[in-house]
Amino acid sequence: MTPAMADKREPDGIVLTEAQKKSRRQRSIAMALALGVLVLLFFAVTLVKGPAVLNRPL
Amino acid sequence: MSVVDHNAIELSVPHISEAEVGDYIALLKPRVMSLVIFTALVGLAIAPGHFHPVLAVTSLLCIAVGAGASGALNMALEGDIDALMSRTANRPIPRGRVTREEAMAFGVTLAFFSVMTLGILVNWYAGALLAFTIFFYVVIYTLWLKRWTAQNIVIGGAAGSLPPVVAWVAATGSISVEPLLLFLIIFFWTPPHFWALALFRSDDYARAGVPMLPVVAGPDATRLQILLYTVVLVAIAAAPWPLGYFDAVYGIASLILGAGMLALAVNVYVSRERLASLRATRKLFAFSILYLFALFATLLVEVVVRAFLPATW
Repeated sequence: MTPAMADKREPDGIVLTEAQKKSRRQRSIAMALALGVLVLLFFAVTLVKGPAVLNRPL
Repeated sequence: MSVVDHNAIELSVPHISEAEVGDYIALLKPRVMSLVIFTALVGLAIAPGHFHPVLAVTSLLCIAVGAGASGALNMALEGDIDALMSRTANRPIPRGRVTREEAMAFGVTLAFFSVMTLGILVNWYAGALLAFTIFFYVVIYTLWLKRWTAQNIVIGGAAGSLPPVVAWVAATGSISVEPLLLFLIIFFWTPPHFWALALFRSDDYARAGVPMLPVVAGPDATRLQILLYTVVLVAIAAAPWPLGYFDAVYGIASLILGAGMLALAVNVYVSRERLASLRATRKLFAFSILYLFALFATLLVEVVVRAFLPATW
């Protein structure tokens, strides 16, 4: 099979519809933003607490 | 004979979600979340001592996300009930936008992160209390009480009453009378609020088999319970003033708002004819939201005014 023929082959497995791709992209961006906020939050609190961040009494 | 069952392969095609971010936001019950954030903000505001704004925002964020996690887990566990009720049939799970498993995973993840973040960044007492609040709402209320007893929202109301206590504990690392007073106000506000809703949605609850008070004991018994709980609520909401915990501005506001709440509860009690009853319960339901908001807003305004006018207030 030539490379050109291979390109025209039906793709294997599950092929996402445009709607599924769009919603997945939206969800991925939302998760990235949420993780970004979490990182910034930990960074900000570390700055606020300074060396006391290592002191963890109940 | 084929070793591979082709039907089984076709059936096992995985579900591919088309859920959008908005569907996941709906799982968080944003309207309930906004009330939780507001009551928690008041808990933070009245707490004594200095609490760094970054830690205050962190605490509010964790409490909000914890409340959202509770909402998502509640919807995951009540998909069957929600589908039968017109008020909830439009939620993401009954509409088929999100599966119960996805909602469960979303809720557990948010619950874990909210509790751990509050514990690590603020203090572990607050983290533990937030974990208990989520546990109480999901396990005690949703899984156990809701489908079992007409007292479901009375006892379950404790979960909705805890956010200002969590906020106070986050700010101070300890517990005191003031946050417990806020807890009691929300606790006794919950039955009149939800039973007013249940009165005009009793067909919905009956269809779903949820033993809400109007379904189990009838509308007349519910009207009486609403009135009795409102009397207790008004007394408890005013009590912090003579007890010296909150000042006269709050006390007068609580009496004025309480008079409105009581008048509407009496109106619900005496309005037995169908249309009049419907109007009365809807009015009480709407006013009860305003009541709680205005009562807590008074405390918040007092704190803000004191901060800007320390010498004259």
